[in-house]
Amino acid sequence: MGQRRKVGSTNTPSSQSESADASKVHSRKHNICMVSDFFYPNMGGVESHIYQLSQCLIEKGHKVMYNQSTATTCFHSLPLLRCVFVRERITVVHAHSSFSAMAHDALFHAKTLGLNTVFTDHSLFGFADVSSVLTNKLLTVSLCDTNHIVCVSYTSKENTVLRAALNPEIVSVIPNAVDPTDFTPDPSQRPPDRITIVVISRLVYRKGIDLLGGIIPELCLKHPDLHFLIGGEGPKRLVLEEVREKYQLHDRVRLLGALEHKDVRGVLVQGHIFLNTSLTEAFCMAIVEGASCGLQVVSTRVGGIPEVLPEDLITLCEPTVRSLCAGLEKVIAKQRSGSVPSPTSIHSRVKNLYTWKNVAERTEKVYDRVAGEEVLPLDRRLRRLRSHCGPVAGSLFALFAVLDFLFLLLLRWLAPDRHMDMAVDATGPNGLWKENRKNSDAGC
Amino acid sequence: MGPDGAPSQSVPWRKVLWEWQPFPDNYVDQRFLEELRRNEGIRQYRYWAVVKEAGFVGQQLSCVAIFITLWLYMEQGLLAPETLFWTSLTCALLGYGLYQALTSQTESCSDHRTHLADSQSAALFLSFTFGFSPVLKTLTESVSTDTVYAMSALMLLAHLVSFPYAHPSPPGSLSLNAALFASVCLASRLPGALHTFAMLTCALLVFALWPCLLQRIRANAPGQFTGVCVGVCVGGVGGLGSQSLGGAVLLSLALVSVTLICPLLLVRLQRHKDNIHGPWDEAEIREDLSRFLH
Repeated sequence: MGQRRKVGSTNTPSSQSESADASKVHSRKHNICMVSDFFYPNMGGVESHIYQLSQCLIEKGHKVMYNQSTATTCFHSLPLLRCVFVRERITVVHAHSSFSAMAHDALFHAKTLGLNTVFTDHSLFGFADVSSVLTNKLLTVSLCDTNHIVCVSYTSKENTVLRAALNPEIVSVIPNAVDPTDFTPDPSQRPPDRITIVVISRLVYRKGIDLLGGIIPELCLKHPDLHFLIGGEGPKRLVLEEVREKYQLHDRVRLLGALEHKDVRGVLVQGHIFLNTSLTEAFCMAIVEGASCGLQVVSTRVGGIPEVLPEDLITLCEPTVRSLCAGLEKVIAKQRSGSVPSPTSIHSRVKNLYTWKNVAERTEKVYDRVAGEEVLPLDRRLRRLRSHCGPVAGSLFALFAVLDFLFLLLLRWLAPDRHMDMAVDATGPNGLWKENRKNSDAGC
Repeated sequence: MGPDGAPSQSVPWRKVLWEWQPFPDNYVDQRFLEELRRNEGIRQYRYWAVVKEAGFVGQQLSCVAIFITLWLYMEQGLLAPETLFWTSLTCALLGYGLYQALTSQTESCSDHRTHLADSQSAALFLSFTFGFSPVLKTLTESVSTDTVYAMSALMLLAHLVSFPYAHPSPPGSLSLNAALFASVCLASRLPGALHTFAMLTCALLVFALWPCLLQRIRANAPGQFTGVCVGVCVGGVGGLGSQSLGGAVLLSLALVSVTLICPLLLVRLQRHKDNIHGPWDEAEIREDLSRFLH
């Protein structure tokens, strides 16, 4: 089941001392294992977050492992995860996304193995329906003895603290980032005789595509030179196609279908205005990408979006057709009168707001802090589970923790740690690759 | 354990990510969770209003009891199929008249169906049921009686569970189908084809037409609605009592718990409601967006 991918590693004593001399900030290097069900080649916010963060941490001299899997259940992943953790001499397990079953598994087993744990939550959840009640309980159990939690926005932090009944002081807010070199403006790509609104998102209900289906006819009737460029795929594509059919807008509304990450910039630079109609969003990287390409951003005021961009770079609207149309009209009028800042000036303001380097530095602080904390021994872990997660779920998962521990003892007896091969770090023959890397990498 | 560093009090914390702030990443401000709202837009229930609404559930339970009582009488030969059929037809005509009378007061213009169309549907149904009643009579002959009874009980239960009590007109397809399935099962155990026909006509009256009429009464004559519900409940308990005393006691217990005790619990438990809302909630689309499509 486990598909393991080594993102890369540098962790020989020599490199450690060198980079420690160079920075003097980080006293120790960590062996980090990233665990999630989401990874390349799939595309999405979580996937690119893990990938980019791992790359930057590797640059900083940490060793980063990556684990991915689907459909795991509580116990059978323990032998494999133990093998990975022991062989790679993992010190910190970093799990991503509350939707990922394997992330929860890994947190559970890592605590049994006595490793420090960090969890990053990427999404917002409600409290009202049955499915969220169940997932929130699972999250409570999973996070009650996790050392540190990372959220991508303050709203996401409030949400996670409430969902998992956490002490807010063990929750850090570290935003996502965008690679500014990937998203540069190019005004020459904009057709001069029209105003183009770009939408790039999965075409699903949560992204507010129904609202978009109301906005398109409303605005296209008023502005004959307005064009829509829509990238992304999903079940709600039908709504957009129906609207296009009914109002005969085939030449003005282009549906591009699913886009690869490398093609996104090419679409963005063709537009004047970036529109985001999401109904819920923890951070929203799309609007940062849009602004980085020099577009005027119009978005709904939901979730963490108001925290992401300064007021003069974004027009926030209520999630209704009327409010979004009003916001778009305002921006279109500004665009026509030429009173909008130039794409280059917007790019230069946005490019330093969110960088992966900054994210990696802040995440590193979390690792440093976590490495100094103790992992709860079994008896205190059981007590914590039972006091924190309610009598039923707490006792049930305390039982699971005990079983997990016994299973671990059995595994240790069958295959003792000292008999396990330690993984050789990929530094190339005589550290050759490492040298290359140093020369070629200017930074990330 | 506290935040990593002591924040300087000179700069107020802002809930923004785009600006570097002199606070550690795990800083918790005074304003943390200030946008949390509890029990927003909560409905305050009044006990008797809830009881009145629960009356619909109670009378539907009684309707099932009445139907079973009629079936028991038919099976024992105490009720002639002709009597049942003509009574049903008379009731249907009376009910239809009442329905029209209640309609004409308010939304007669929005009602597109004519009397002719209604009588056509009725004639179609009656002739088909009459023609097929010999087939329906022998439909479950190869199935054991126990299975038929168990199936009927299950289906009537499904009818009660899936019945759309909030908008019972027209009755939901699942609940109506479950009820008619149960009726066919039961009717096929009766002695003759005419019995089966009469029973199915009666089933259609009780499970398909009566909820529509009752909904109309609830909407247009709320004063009479309570009386009708009580009447049906009394009829159900009385009818079942004439056949099985234990059944009547069980039914009345069920009625009391559904119409009196459950509403009491609902009103009492409202105090413990703790619903939290905040900026993380998924926004709801309240507009009617279908106007853009159709």
